[in-house]
Amino acid sequence: MIIMTNNSPQVEYIPPVYKEKRLRHSKNPDKIGVFLCRCGDNISNIIDMEKLKSSIKADFVAEFENLCSINCRRHIREEIIEHDLDRVAIVACSPLTHLKTFQNYADPLNPHMVEMINLREQCSWVHTDQEKATKKAIEVTRAGIEKLKNAQALDKIIRQTEKSAAIFGGGISGITAALSLANQGIKSCIIEKKPTIGGNMVKIGKVFSPEKLAEECALCILNPIINEVINHKNIHIMTRTNLLRAGRKATHFKLILEKDTGLVHEERCIACGKCAEVCPVEVPDEWNQKMTTRKAIYKTFPQAVPDVYTIDRENCIECGMCAEACKMGAIDFKLKPEVIPFQAGNIIIATGHENYDLNKRPEYGYHRFDDVISQMDLSRILGVNGPTQGELLRISDGKVPDKVVMIQCTGSRDEKADGKRYCSKVCCMIALKHASIIREHYPDTEVVICYTDLRTVGMYENYLRYVQDKGLKLIRGRPGEVSKKDGKLVVRVEDTLEGKPLDIETDMVVLSEAIEPSAGTMRIARKLNVGMNQDLFIKEKHAKIKPVNTDMGRIFVCGTAQGPKDITDSVAQANAAAAKVSEEIESGTEAEPPVAVIETSKCDLCGKCRNICGFKAVYKDEENMAVDPMACRGCGACAGQCPQEAIEIKGINDQELYAQIKALLSDKEEGEIRILAFLDNVGYTAADTIGYNRINYPEAIRIIRIPSINRIMSHHLMYAFNQGADGILMAEYPDECMLEAHKAKIKELTEKIAAEGIPNDRLRFYKAYAPHYRGLNKQFHRFYEDIRAEAKI
Amino acid sequence: MMEKKHKKSQHSLVREIKDNLRASPDLGIKRCMQCGLCTSNCPAARHSDYDPREMVKKVLDNNLEVLDNPDIWNCFYCYTCASNCPVNNSPSLINQILREKILNTGGNVSRVAEFIEFGYNYVEKGVGTIPSTFFQDLVDDFGEDYPKLKHDLPDIRRKLGLKEYNLKGEAAAEVKNILKASGFTQRLEKLKKIA
Repeated sequence: MIIMTNNSPQVEYIPPVYKEKRLRHSKNPDKIGVFLCRCGDNISNIIDMEKLKSSIKADFVAEFENLCSINCRRHIREEIIEHDLDRVAIVACSPLTHLKTFQNYADPLNPHMVEMINLREQCSWVHTDQEKATKKAIEVTRAGIEKLKNAQALDKIIRQTEKSAAIFGGGISGITAALSLANQGIKSCIIEKKPTIGGNMVKIGKVFSPEKLAEECALCILNPIINEVINHKNIHIMTRTNLLRAGRKATHFKLILEKDTGLVHEERCIACGKCAEVCPVEVPDEWNQKMTTRKAIYKTFPQAVPDVYTIDRENCIECGMCAEACKMGAIDFKLKPEVIPFQAGNIIIATGHENYDLNKRPEYGYHRFDDVISQMDLSRILGVNGPTQGELLRISDGKVPDKVVMIQCTGSRDEKADGKRYCSKVCCMIALKHASIIREHYPDTEVVICYTDLRTVGMYENYLRYVQDKGLKLIRGRPGEVSKKDGKLVVRVEDTLEGKPLDIETDMVVLSEAIEPSAGTMRIARKLNVGMNQDLFIKEKHAKIKPVNTDMGRIFVCGTAQGPKDITDSVAQANAAAAKVSEEIESGTEAEPPVAVIETSKCDLCGKCRNICGFKAVYKDEENMAVDPMACRGCGACAGQCPQEAIEIKGINDQELYAQIKALLSDKEEGEIRILAFLDNVGYTAADTIGYNRINYPEAIRIIRIPSINRIMSHHLMYAFNQGADGILMAEYPDECMLEAHKAKIKELTEKIAAEGIPNDRLRFYKAYAPHYRGLNKQFHRFYEDIRAEAKI
Repeated sequence: MMEKKHKKSQHSLVREIKDNLRASPDLGIKRCMQCGLCTSNCPAARHSDYDPREMVKKVLDNNLEVLDNPDIWNCFYCYTCASNCPVNNSPSLINQILREKILNTGGNVSRVAEFIEFGYNYVEKGVGTIPSTFFQDLVDDFGEDYPKLKHDLPDIRRKLGLKEYNLKGEAAAEVKNILKASGFTQRLEKLKKIA
């Protein structure tokens, strides 16, 4: 229950109060009540309710027409109070549909004191023989009650995430996310490794606008946002700062940051620039793609934030001239990098991208020919604050080119060594943007784009038409080489639509370089133990439904750190990441069992649990191993790995499993076949769906719902076989992040069961998919028929 | 766990190429996007009407006319296409397999007639040496240096401390046996007969 008051944004958490538990093994054992539902006649038309009712041994048994109706809510509550019931079994339909309803109806009881027995989807709807179905119903009910007797009352796990966020990367994504959080009252810190924030967007000059069919000034859009960030009371900016170490706690992250000073006292510098005037060291300026030079003490660009000068230690010769020139005494060669401990409730990774190293495609001659440039180089050339003040001039001779040829997919969509297999997504639009600017200002300059596929998705198609109208030559073909002949650049390409090889003579070649994950992205992923995809971008938790979550709880991703994307998408994703952080802070406070709990005194820190957990729920908390209950799914993989047996899965304990197994096999008669099906939630859903579709399968199938096959140990299976199970089917959805654990589990169980002398076809595994219920049904039938055929022989 | 069964495509040129022993399992033929990078770099395409991109297209279309196109015999296996192809396809390798298919049905044997001696050298000496019919071409290309090199080669090798490069005795016999057992020699005889 969360109570919010109007005058305070603070969230107060009040845990629910349940009926007090009786002491176990006390003189008065828990009282059990059983509520039977006829479900109209959905259950009672196949199952003999009288027979079922008389078979039940409990302190209270009652039968209802429609147990889920709101009237019955009153009945259930009244009976619980009147008969002083401690545990309640609901014999009705699937827990997937109604468990929450009945936990609510049984409100004074702890939710774990309510057990649902599924007689509709998994009995009356799938069997037609009344006698056999009733027999199964009696047994399934007994198993449910036995499980209920062994259930443990568990409290919800409560956690309050700290109300703060660390945002790595100060580009458009990081800035957007920080601003959104700060506006929601959440303290945010932007951590940027470079001396200024703004990222790649400050360099590109113009951005394309498909809406207005125009190019807009990037810095003009960005500057007001940056100003807002600087002045925001909830945002702190740390530049020249790197992450050294990260530790994870239940409610926050402990980060160790290193801030390089740039040998300048930031608070003293007034950015007058006198230092740079006297500095004797000139080096190529990365801001202008090394087409111009800067000094060893410099400010990245005039509007840089923070507005301070900084020394590039690599090139500084420590002559001291700048320090002499500085009237503020801001320069200090003795300044050491500062190590700063930092704490944040959440983390957003917005570490962006880098541009592909064009030296890896020597056939295009980027470094051999001055006038072969990259799109980023062209951005700077066309930028009014660039090396040519926005004039389109060749680097070699300073002349306006008569012809510009652009080569798409340089390094992208390339399976070769050093290539990037993915499409970099933005290069088609960048090429068109530059073509548009060139055609606008230099109508005598011809622009040719050599492309494989033009990807101007969605509304961007309008922009393509707009640029085409300005006059643009498109050649469908991927060039193989750029060479030089008689002083002219020659692009060799096949016009694949004409089927003819061409040598295009030109004055300038622009390579549309791929986007690749930045070194910072890869470094931070390793430090934070966040998963990357095979192209080394940060991997989202689910590409469709969790696009900004990472595989680590409370760590989110946005912008090009996650994959190539344009500014629009980066901003959208940044806002989504901020919303997720906010959600985590406001409501990410409850976790429901089953969850794994480590008994620290037994644990010897071997780390096997941490290695197996695909949900990354296990972490080392200073000196102990710990489980993050929010990330844990209670699958039990860790418990299976633990050599010390120090891990317990709260919510489905061994006693519950044993009790169910035993009860489901207890009345097996001579010559009868019994198959136990252990199904995870997806498998269980598929089994329910078989019921919805009224498809029959043999009564021999008895279903036990488990969180995951990882929860099941060989001793559970051996217990089942010894109790008379003829076969065991284990079905589970192949969850990507637990695939390795599944494989290991299947191997382990298969080997152990074989060692006990059980024929290997008596233990079967099946990959369950919710919509493919027919597949599961087929498995049920096949298993049954195989055993029957064997029994006949 | 149930094994997923992949449906195999029906008989086609692509299938034939993928199944050929020469083709590596990750040959990207089906991923060809007809970008034309192979053709742009192809020396044979520069000097003739051979178009590797078009050849691959015909194979993908299962267009058997590709086998009748005389231009495919202009490829000389420089492998530039294979080393540049962005989807890991190898037009050069496809070309080889197509030629093999043509030769197996007895077509165009004249195209390889002059290489037959190369095969026989291999059988006899255990090393492939340039057929004698090529001598004049090499002289035309390299001038007098070529016969001089040819003449001086034994001396040069001796000076460098290199041994005789033709295999002898047991080793030569072994290579010969392998070539016979693998059907190489027989194939050579067959080609010679048709040529």
